[in-house]
Amino acid sequence: MVSTVWQNPVLLIVVPLGLAFFTPIIGLIRKELVKYIPILGMLFNLTLSLFLLPKVLDNPIIVSLSGWKPPFAINLFVGPVGILFSILISLVGLLTAIYGINYIKKGAVEKYHMLFLLLLTGATGIVLTGDIFNLFVFFEILCISSYALVAYNQDKNGIEAATKYLIQGSLGSAFILLGIGFLYGLFGTLNMADIARNITTVDSPALFIAMALFITGFGVEAAIFPLNAWLPDAHSSAPSTISAILSGIAIHIGIYAIFRVLYTLFGFNSIFTVLAVIGIVTLLIGEMSAFRQENIKRVLAYSSMGQMGLIIFALSIGTVDGISGGLFQIITHTLSKSLLFLCVGYMVYSTNSMELSSLNGLGKRMPLISLLFTIGVFSLIGLPPFIGFPSKLSIILAGLKTGETLFLILIVLMLLATVIEGVYFFRIIQILYFKEPDKEERFKTPFTLLFPVIILGLLIVAIGIYPGLLQEILDRSAEIFWDKLSYIKIVFGG
Amino acid sequence: MDFLYHNIHFIGAFGLMFIGLYMIAVKKNLIKKIIGLGFVETGINLFLIIIGYIKNGTAPIFSKAGLDPARMVDPVPQALVLTAIVINVAILALALGLAIRLYGHYKTLNVEKIRGLKW
Amino acid sequence: MKKIISFVLLVIIFIGIYFAVSQIPYGKDKMSVSKHYLNNGVKENGASNIVTSVVLNYRGFDTLGELTILFIGAIGLGVVLFGFETKGKDIKSPSLILNAGSTFLFPFILLFGIYIFIHGHLSPGGGFQGGAVIASGFLISYLGYPKKRISEKGIHIVESLGGTLFILIGLLGLLLGGYFLSNILPKGTVNTLVSGGIIPLLYVLIGIKVGAELAGIIYKLME
Repeated sequence: MVSTVWQNPVLLIVVPLGLAFFTPIIGLIRKELVKYIPILGMLFNLTLSLFLLPKVLDNPIIVSLSGWKPPFAINLFVGPVGILFSILISLVGLLTAIYGINYIKKGAVEKYHMLFLLLLTGATGIVLTGDIFNLFVFFEILCISSYALVAYNQDKNGIEAATKYLIQGSLGSAFILLGIGFLYGLFGTLNMADIARNITTVDSPALFIAMALFITGFGVEAAIFPLNAWLPDAHSSAPSTISAILSGIAIHIGIYAIFRVLYTLFGFNSIFTVLAVIGIVTLLIGEMSAFRQENIKRVLAYSSMGQMGLIIFALSIGTVDGISGGLFQIITHTLSKSLLFLCVGYMVYSTNSMELSSLNGLGKRMPLISLLFTIGVFSLIGLPPFIGFPSKLSIILAGLKTGETLFLILIVLMLLATVIEGVYFFRIIQILYFKEPDKEERFKTPFTLLFPVIILGLLIVAIGIYPGLLQEILDRSAEIFWDKLSYIKIVFGG
Repeated sequence: MDFLYHNIHFIGAFGLMFIGLYMIAVKKNLIKKIIGLGFVETGINLFLIIIGYIKNGTAPIFSKAGLDPARMVDPVPQALVLTAIVINVAILALALGLAIRLYGHYKTLNVEKIRGLKW
Repeated sequence: MKKIISFVLLVIIFIGIYFAVSQIPYGKDKMSVSKHYLNNGVKENGASNIVTSVVLNYRGFDTLGELTILFIGAIGLGVVLFGFETKGKDIKSPSLILNAGSTFLFPFILLFGIYIFIHGHLSPGGGFQGGAVIASGFLISYLGYPKKRISEKGIHIVESLGGTLFILIGLLGLLLGGYFLSNILPKGTVNTLVSGGIIPLLYVLIGIKVGAELAGIIYKLME
């Protein structure tokens, strides 16, 4: 037993948590060590998740906590989707932590690194847990640490954005708690598999209201259309490392939570059509708002909003192909958007301005960063040979396969949005490369800033050229994500 | 009157939530909005406790022998409320900290006078 | 106008929610999982307070998350208020009654808080409640002596140690019992102070940690 303890998936949550708790003491011994702690935690998570991936592809692992069988204690459901997200979180977290070593210099540095690690731990907890209230607790960990981190710069915009985010976000979580109360009142249990097993025995409007509450609550974090007023402010005024994490991870976790609840708990298939339409509306509004922005980080933030719409659309197609495409698009967006935010973070850091006009001719002054920025942009638009191409293609194919007129119209709208996206991104690239620079001097980039960006760029190209590497994993994940009956069977039968 | 008698608990819980939401939507003072947030959370906590209640139930503590487990109220919602209260404390502390900083920047807590904040 | 619109909107929403709620029977027994806790909780954990048993054992992982959230709240406040200069307003020194009263009450409040979290598995109360009582003791000492400060370093060490030890106990459970946070210690006789396995131990840790964190939050907001 002792020999297998180190590969228990609960360590994915507990080890970073323990490191974060221990950080103040390490900080007392040596202050410089603190900034390496997130790297340590994420390195551990990445190794363990990669190790677990082949195992969970065959059989998802159920981890009971406190020694009792589900539903009597909290259990973790470690399936391929969870591990896939956990790999993404730890990968992006690791790279962003490396970037943060030299990037974060002002302010409460020690506390920044603690909150950073806790944010990522919360995200990992959400994707692994199999208990609805535990999901809520981890969701709060994610949210509260992101409220604090958005305000990290302590400038006017940051504090304002954080206040706005806090009020909307905590209202959202209040709704989730209310929804959990409804579910508990109806079923007397909090285990997701247990609720899913009994959901057909109850037919009442309370169920529908609970679902609406869940969608609204998680929707605030996932930036679904009417609930996303906080997103552009928060993403653009946070420090760039945090913007990368928020855009790359936090909002996807919101989407994961919505669809985990919808796929596993509730069986209303009719809601998916509504969500698909909302997704496309979010996409169009996001892209159109991004078109008008003059602030580079706001452009990226609105573009994130648009991409969320695309992912919601893909996941609401309601077929295994669609879910697989949606998961693929999540990977695309995580990699590309963190790459873009990290690149922009460096540009803003050196030019000291977020206006598009200040980027004039940066292609000559920092060629490597501009090249990587271009890769990220092309991948988001969906040009081959980058990762965005196969993922967008698979969404379109999945939509066409359903053969419904509604989805056909929505796909046309989606292509239209892609065109808008292309136009404003090409404008930025034109500014980067074809405008005369103000000054001739070149910037020297420190290695710790360059390394994560290069790795992300390489991943984007590599997966873009060999999408087959991921396809099998994605299909299997989508199958398990979608299949409610096997979820119940795995939790209780194993 | 009968209606009131049978539903007074739900009216209490949802009334608190209602007041809180109304304050968040309408009041212009940031502190009042934060108080509204506290109201909403309190209402939800009350709702959770009500769900776990059993008529004539006792506290789920076996402090002396011979207590009947069938007559005890549900312990799980109480545990949930404990968690929810702690979460609420963290959120409110952070919100007040942010309000202090906002006041430092703008010398006002009226959200209409704070630029960029569209509520 | 805005007021009326939001009022009407809220009324509509709440009428909808009310009809949904009326589906949930009030005051009836509708437990499924908690029946198991009530019937077997004492046997399985040795703690006579079932709520404590649920909080620390069956749903112990939630409590770990809860501790983390409070921790985040404290650090987040530190991030937000970092470098916030106090105006150097001269604080009026409190009256003699407050001064003497706080000196007199402080040790008793502390003692009461400790009593609450040590008896968390036997009677109502527990680590969070006890921690809050301890923090109120620090609040009253702050009111009595506004110039006096407890060291921030001390608070950090206490909260950090509390969290780390909680996780170490959990990991010990994983190592020895095969499950994270499993109750590895002997259960003892029900209704005595030393019973319930790891539960009182965890509650003491939580109590100290919560007390330190809330005291820290109070001091930060007071400045």
